[in-house]
Amino acid sequence: MLDIQIKNQFINILGKDRYLDRIEELACYAYDAFVVEALPDAVLFPETTAEVSELLKIASRYKIPVTGRGAGTSLCGASIPIRQGVVLCFSKMDKIIEVNTRDRYIIVQPGVVNADIQKALLPFRFFYPPDPASMNTSTIGGNIAMNAGGPRCLKYGVTVDYVLGMEVVLASGDIVRFGSRNVKDVTGYRLSSLFCGSEGTMGITTEAILKVVPLPEATRTLMVTFDNLDNTAKSVTDIIGSGIIPVAMELMDKLTLNAIEDSANLGLDRNAQGSLLIEIDGVKEACEKEMNKVIEKVRQNGAIHIQEARSDIERENLWTARRSAYGVFAKLAPDIVTEDVTVPVSQVPLMIRQIIEITDKYGLKVGVLAHAGDGNMHPMIPADKEDKAEWEKVKSAFSEIFQAAAELGGTLSGEHGIGLAKAQFLPLVMNKDSIDFMKKIKRVIDPDLILNPGKFV
Amino acid sequence: MIPKPLQNCGKCGLCLNVCPVYKILKQEQTSPRGKLQLIKAYDHNTLASSDLLKDIVSKCLMCGSCTASCPSGIDHYSEFMEMRKKMADVQGETLAIKSLIYLLGREYRLKFGSGLARTGQKFVPDKVAKTIKLGNIPLKNFPKLNSTPFRNANDEIILPYKKQIGTVLYFTGCATNYLYEDTGFAFIEILKHIGYKIIIPKDQTCCSIPLLFHGASDKALKNIITNINALTNNEADAIVVDCSTCGEALKNEYPRIMENQEQGSVEAIKIASKVIDSLSFIDQHFDLLEFDPNVTDKISVTYHAPCHTRNSFGSNTLAEKLLSKLAFVNYKQASDVNECCGGGGTFFYEYPEVSKKMVDKKIKNAKAVQASLWITDCPVCRMNLSGNLDLDDKLKVIHPLTLIHSALKQI
Repeated sequence: MLDIQIKNQFINILGKDRYLDRIEELACYAYDAFVVEALPDAVLFPETTAEVSELLKIASRYKIPVTGRGAGTSLCGASIPIRQGVVLCFSKMDKIIEVNTRDRYIIVQPGVVNADIQKALLPFRFFYPPDPASMNTSTIGGNIAMNAGGPRCLKYGVTVDYVLGMEVVLASGDIVRFGSRNVKDVTGYRLSSLFCGSEGTMGITTEAILKVVPLPEATRTLMVTFDNLDNTAKSVTDIIGSGIIPVAMELMDKLTLNAIEDSANLGLDRNAQGSLLIEIDGVKEACEKEMNKVIEKVRQNGAIHIQEARSDIERENLWTARRSAYGVFAKLAPDIVTEDVTVPVSQVPLMIRQIIEITDKYGLKVGVLAHAGDGNMHPMIPADKEDKAEWEKVKSAFSEIFQAAAELGGTLSGEHGIGLAKAQFLPLVMNKDSIDFMKKIKRVIDPDLILNPGKFV
Repeated sequence: MIPKPLQNCGKCGLCLNVCPVYKILKQEQTSPRGKLQLIKAYDHNTLASSDLLKDIVSKCLMCGSCTASCPSGIDHYSEFMEMRKKMADVQGETLAIKSLIYLLGREYRLKFGSGLARTGQKFVPDKVAKTIKLGNIPLKNFPKLNSTPFRNANDEIILPYKKQIGTVLYFTGCATNYLYEDTGFAFIEILKHIGYKIIIPKDQTCCSIPLLFHGASDKALKNIITNINALTNNEADAIVVDCSTCGEALKNEYPRIMENQEQGSVEAIKIASKVIDSLSFIDQHFDLLEFDPNVTDKISVTYHAPCHTRNSFGSNTLAEKLLSKLAFVNYKQASDVNECCGGGGTFFYEYPEVSKKMVDKKIKNAKAVQASLWITDCPVCRMNLSGNLDLDDKLKVIHPLTLIHSALKQI
């Protein structure tokens, strides 16, 4: 519980309706999509930049931890208030300020849901490329804090590639603005790279200018199956090596395919050892040419079945199959853990083999999914958290998977972030000097360490 | 002992964007994910019962959209229903809800109550009726009660106009029985037109959904058994409903509830397999409908998809398909056709401030397409939508059956 005086200061700014501190309410802000929970002392709902600034001034004065939150969909515990204090929730600061497709940008408040940005752009035949699986729920503030990615980021790039400008409130309450509405802008440091992906440890985004792009003229979608997982993975490197960058190349292994087929009955090939969902887009003629090349490459790698979506409905069905993978696995056990180690594309076949070897060793079930085109792996392990012995095995297996990825020149996280989940593994991919350097930057910007404390920095 | 659910909520948050209440209030405790968290804490004795807890759990339309979209396959619907019962037991119910439960628990009380209310409706001066509100809805905007309950106004067995092609049992629900007889008469005419013998079992009663939502599961069980007995009939090819909430109860809740009863769920399952909503039934027999060639004027129509039509029968797109097939209809889709209207059984009465925001948005978007008829196949949605329109509004809300019946050829 916060001191009554501090509480009153917060309420003076927000009013009673936007300040929560009863246990029934706090209990709902103790979690996100990660497995750890911690109760905050209060939850605050600012609606303007000025309010955020005032709130942070108070938090700074009394050294109260501040954890930002959008929709609470973080997979690494980034929005969990592990050191208590206040949760700054942006769900009510959710206005789209300007849509300007002529100048190719959109200006939004942090609480705007990713999918609502897409909806606002659709009438203009534009879109905002980053597409995390949580896009129907997750907010742009959270997307920026986590530098979110998604399947189509293979071709289009991740969140930081689309942030043209930002307004950020620092721990002190200072309001800083950088970047602009211009696609080209080399005025000053490119600070968006510092804040984007900082997981709420550097400052609080209160407004963002995002770059948007026209919808492609044509989209082609292909489902290919193989009788060998190595060939599946090798097709990925061959396609990219041939100079084609598809929108997405999603890999699923046999276990995943069968689990989907068990529940959805979509007519997937149950005997296939691996499959690729490949999508390309662009000008119609270019798509045609690229499609032929893709088919040639998968044939060379022994594809046994190639199916192209002939309509939007067929295309949607293929993507539904892919998207249902997580849910299908989630039903296999009371809990499910998924990580997102990432390796250079050429190492994808090796990484998959190692994931399977490691989980086999511990007697765990694993489904291998990957945004294979950018080496972003999603091993999913269904397990029961209450079963202590099994849970320890899961932890050990992931620890070894991280180690293996590091040895292949990979990294801990491609798109979920570090948060609470992977903080202890940072030394696998960063040396001491580098970690210290991040800490030094953190101390300059947030000297009292009130912003999202207890996380990776 | 706490029965351990097979699945844990993975807290992915995909239920947030489909929850009509969360979308308005934007606070996690109002979301399905938040409610599950609280239920778990309460069941594990780490959270005590309180008025606030009961309020949070009740602030839900029971629309089922969370269940329909949950990747982990969690049955929020049943979880919420059980929690509502626990809260009603521990915290008690308001007088208004208690009275409702009392009425719905026995058919004769319901009949008596509606008779009284009808007399009341006649005697309340217009001036007063304009100022009294139930939730957001002025008393004068409530539908007039049927002069005779629909089931009393009809024979128990009705024969078709042409050669009989089958037999249906008609589960009318309370709304058609006491409020919206126009829906019932239209449905009977359509069924006769197609060639069905109709049985309207006299002993049927409230489907129990309102009782279950308000934690009165003992009273609900009595109704359920009464209905199972009334609907057990080997002659029937189908059991038709004009209210998708009643349909949801017969289809999903009855087998689930009866599974734990001595009587067992054999009959309930048999009934469930025969239950079909009116729109799906008409779609299956569309080729047998003969339309009046003299009805040539096109009427512009928009549709509101009730949550239970969408989540329990998936026939919301069917409704749109049907409307598009009708030659005399110019179908205009509203941008939020699949959004909840905020009716939700008694939700509009219990949480008028939340409900108002939802219904206002629905009305704005329906008006934007400039339709003259607003079609919806749920009586609560109909009451809520029409109740929030002005009485002399050009936009009128009716059941799709009434629309279809109006264009049929006389036989």
